[in-house]
Amino acid sequence: MTATATTTRLAAHTEDLVKVYGEGDTQVRALDGVTVGFDSGVFTAIMGPSGSGKSTLMHCAAGLDTITSGHVYLADTDLTALNDKDLTRLRRDRVGFIFQAFNLLPTLTALENITLPLDIAGRKPDKAWLDSVIDTVGLRDRLNHRPTELSGGQQQRVAAARALASRPEIIFADEPTGNLDSRSGSEVLSFMRRSVKEMGQTIVMVTHDPVAASYADRVVFLADGRIVDEMLDPTAEHVLDRMKKFGQ
Amino acid sequence: MWRATRKGLMAHKFRLVSTYIAVLLGVAFVAGTLVLSDTLQHTFDNLFTEVTKGTDVSVRSKAAFTSNDDSGSGASDREAVPASLVSTVEKVDGVKVVTGNVQGYAALIDKDGKAIIPQGPPTIGVSYSGVEEMDPLTFTAGNGPRAPNEIAIDRRTATDHHFAVGDRVSVLLQDGTKQFDLVGIFKFGEADNLAGATLTAFYPSTAQQEFNKVGKWDTIDVAAEPGVSSTELRDRIAGALPKQYEAVTGQTVADEASNQVKQGLGFFTTLLLVFAAIALFTGSFIIFNTFSIIVAQRIREMALLRALGASRRQVTRSVLAEAVAVGLVAAVSGLVLGLGFAKGLTALFDAIGMDIPGGGLVLKTRTWVTSIVLGVVVTTVAALIPARKAGRVPPVAAMRETDIEPASSMRRRLVSGGLVLGFGLLLLFTGLFGSVKNGISLVGLGCMLAFIGISMLAPVVARPLAGAIGRPLPRLFGTSGRLAQQNAMRNPRRTASTASALIIGLGLVGAVAVMAASIKTSVTDLVNRNIKADYVLATKSFGNFSPKLAESLNVTPGIDAASGIRIGEVQIDGTKKQLQAVDPATIDKLIRIDMKSGAVSALGNNQLLVSEKIAKDKGWKRGDTVTMKFAKTGDKTFLVGGVYENNQFLGDVTTGISTFEANFSNPLDFVVVVKGAPGVSSSELRSALDKAVKPFPNIEVRTRAEYVQYTQDQVNQMLTLVYALLMLAIVIALIGIMNTMALSVFERTREIGLARAVGMSRRQVRRMIRWESVVVSLLGAVVGLVVGVGFGWALVRALADEGIQSLTIPFGTLVGFLVFAGVAGMGAAIFPARRAARLDVLTAIAAE
Repeated sequence: MTATATTTRLAAHTEDLVKVYGEGDTQVRALDGVTVGFDSGVFTAIMGPSGSGKSTLMHCAAGLDTITSGHVYLADTDLTALNDKDLTRLRRDRVGFIFQAFNLLPTLTALENITLPLDIAGRKPDKAWLDSVIDTVGLRDRLNHRPTELSGGQQQRVAAARALASRPEIIFADEPTGNLDSRSGSEVLSFMRRSVKEMGQTIVMVTHDPVAASYADRVVFLADGRIVDEMLDPTAEHVLDRMKKFGQ
Repeated sequence: MWRATRKGLMAHKFRLVSTYIAVLLGVAFVAGTLVLSDTLQHTFDNLFTEVTKGTDVSVRSKAAFTSNDDSGSGASDREAVPASLVSTVEKVDGVKVVTGNVQGYAALIDKDGKAIIPQGPPTIGVSYSGVEEMDPLTFTAGNGPRAPNEIAIDRRTATDHHFAVGDRVSVLLQDGTKQFDLVGIFKFGEADNLAGATLTAFYPSTAQQEFNKVGKWDTIDVAAEPGVSSTELRDRIAGALPKQYEAVTGQTVADEASNQVKQGLGFFTTLLLVFAAIALFTGSFIIFNTFSIIVAQRIREMALLRALGASRRQVTRSVLAEAVAVGLVAAVSGLVLGLGFAKGLTALFDAIGMDIPGGGLVLKTRTWVTSIVLGVVVTTVAALIPARKAGRVPPVAAMRETDIEPASSMRRRLVSGGLVLGFGLLLLFTGLFGSVKNGISLVGLGCMLAFIGISMLAPVVARPLAGAIGRPLPRLFGTSGRLAQQNAMRNPRRTASTASALIIGLGLVGAVAVMAASIKTSVTDLVNRNIKADYVLATKSFGNFSPKLAESLNVTPGIDAASGIRIGEVQIDGTKKQLQAVDPATIDKLIRIDMKSGAVSALGNNQLLVSEKIAKDKGWKRGDTVTMKFAKTGDKTFLVGGVYENNQFLGDVTTGISTFEANFSNPLDFVVVVKGAPGVSSSELRSALDKAVKPFPNIEVRTRAEYVQYTQDQVNQMLTLVYALLMLAIVIALIGIMNTMALSVFERTREIGLARAVGMSRRQVRRMIRWESVVVSLLGAVVGLVVGVGFGWALVRALADEGIQSLTIPFGTLVGFLVFAGVAGMGAAIFPARRAARLDVLTAIAAE
């Protein structure tokens, strides 16, 4: 896996990324000089204890949040140089998202939710690609259902399918299994794993669950706003052991 | 993207019901008013064309300016033409037939001996020539009068008062009541009467005699030979006339008559449109509020769209698209409702005596375009700020657990709200007190801005005020009371904008109440101060009546003095002004005139007395000469004989009866004031009066106190109408409160579920919602009434010159409005409270 990582280019990376919330006494340094790269075609997990800055790192890397200093690149594009309009277009055309909750518009059917980013962009979906995504998700018989008629796992799989549908360069997932039971969680994670393996997708996932992290190719550990460690081909046990050190 | 918008709209349509209703009602009001006005205008155009049908040219005296004189004919005050002019006209080449016509006062007496006086429209008597070519009447029974003792009357009057051909009918004429044989009943084309007027047709010589025009005609009407156009004939006749006479086409006469009705109609239409605008303005606050809440509730949805790549503009536009869609649907239904509203009002006109013939409603392109554009524009503009806010939702909001309350600073709000309010007040006061041209529109614009400013400032005071109003609640209702109080305080922005609509409604109601109360006190004061007379005699609707009454009263035993007062219109420096005429011999005994200079007796010497106000405006003083233009006699110069303290009864310019008679053809009084002789008991005086007015069944005898009561009743009637029109704005405001409460319940589903889970009863939940609504309503009412009293005060001050001297604040009435607002607030919460109480505990907690 190390070999793959070095030969492929970086899908996204940050340089000395700093993010400060608030001012004066209430100032919080959520990210304190993070330099990290996410390889193309690799499933990366970001882990760390609560308040370590892992969600903030993802938000900044995805162009959802502004940064205090440093640089964020998506492939060769420097996000810090972009205005709101360009960032919006970048999110629309080059990035996919899976959130922990509230991923789907309750008024749209599953299929409509999957094609939503394409609809926003005013693009026609690539039929063949869409079909293969839907088959990989395994929800063909549920396409005309509303989110409320789907289970939590199914909803997250629809969210994942939506992220894949526009063929983004990179997908950011924020605790995608946080609200799910273990069986539904493994459905979603297996699907994400497969999309990396079979479709060559790049995924960056924030999680605090060692089992979820074990589906990734690589785990990056964050603590107090800094990268403290990383692990390749993780297993749930190894990750758990590493996490236990943070508690000490 | 549009699919998301459309589906979102369909899914949330219940949230938009209040927006729909607000626009619907406002647009219906506008559309209804326009349709009604167009329908009436169309009716009158047809009617007057029908009346002048067959008349190609009309010959009459020239008038110095056109106006309504008060003879009730609706025509300009003109000198009559000598009957001898007929032969001059007849000789003109192309003239086929010529008739003379006169018009005057003639009120029918019904079978109970009461004069038939319509509310507003006049009682007209005309001569009937029976010349076939120019006969505007269509007889439905009998025929026209063919002998001096015969009359014919309009069909509506005949139907309403059960007259039939062959009846012996009493008619009140200028010189008293006379009996005639009813030989015919007629209509005008399709209409049963002439815009609500009663019409009596007399034999020509009878008409000349009864209208004091023996040997004269008001107009000489001409029908042309075939092949001669009316304009051509007009020019030929004009060439043959002495220069004090003029010839006009029949179409011109019809247009003049129609235009006069239109002017009155225009005022009525404007009045209704003002209230429609108020309703829409109030509605726009509801729309603003609804969209703000919807955006707040869908903040994560907006954020999700943004995260998925929707641009700010796309999100803003999707919210605006919802607004346009709702606005459009509501405007179209408003238009339909407006048609129904107009239909209902024409029925009302019919019920009060104005015959509106068939032909249906007139829906002009202007009406439906205005209605739809107005509905869509108001909705969209009101939704603009919320929509922009939606566009500014940051994409990260999709991932944050907690809702982000946009915290625009109160200080900035204080500054910008204060500026808007200040600018509004500046316009308002300039309009009220400054001497500017479009004062009234400045007042309107100023009011609007002031209300916007107030609603911007309202959130600043909403929290402490809601807390204060809700203070007794915890003690009264325990936990549900405390929660009601706190819920009303928790989102001051929402509470304030919900209450804003009510602030406007009650602000206007409060201002009107203060003004009406002040008018009532002022009028009472003035009447008591200015009238020395014991009795005031007038017709029910202050129409004109015969001067014979005053004459006969002056020779009735037991009566010390009686003076008729007449009013007519003159032009001073090009603007119309009302001129009063009184009897110089007796007026001093009847009306208190405080002379600043000169003496009342000057009236007897063909001089004028003028008020202090106009003397100040025009720089007049005793001994100056003043020129007034009369329609009938042109420019006349008068000596100012004295200046009196402003006087409600005398207005600005007063002259003696003889001067009046020399310059107006109208010889009628509109009021007679009477004082009993010393030593005559009030019951003796009363019976003497009752006997004296017997020949004048249109006259009502009122004591001074009754007269005061009458003027108060007039104000109350007006007040009731204005309250009724403002009611719509208040209803819209209450719908807004209902809507906010419903949306809040929806938003607090989990909270309510939690409260229920830990043991709150359904009843307590309902109580909590209801009292929150009461607090919000009272907040709006309190602020509104405070603002209203302020506006009322300003209005009263501005009208001080018009005789409204004292400021009265009707505290009882205002407290009544507060109670009303509280009760209405409770009513508005019924539906949301029931909904909240019905929530299933488990699903409420599980809900997203």
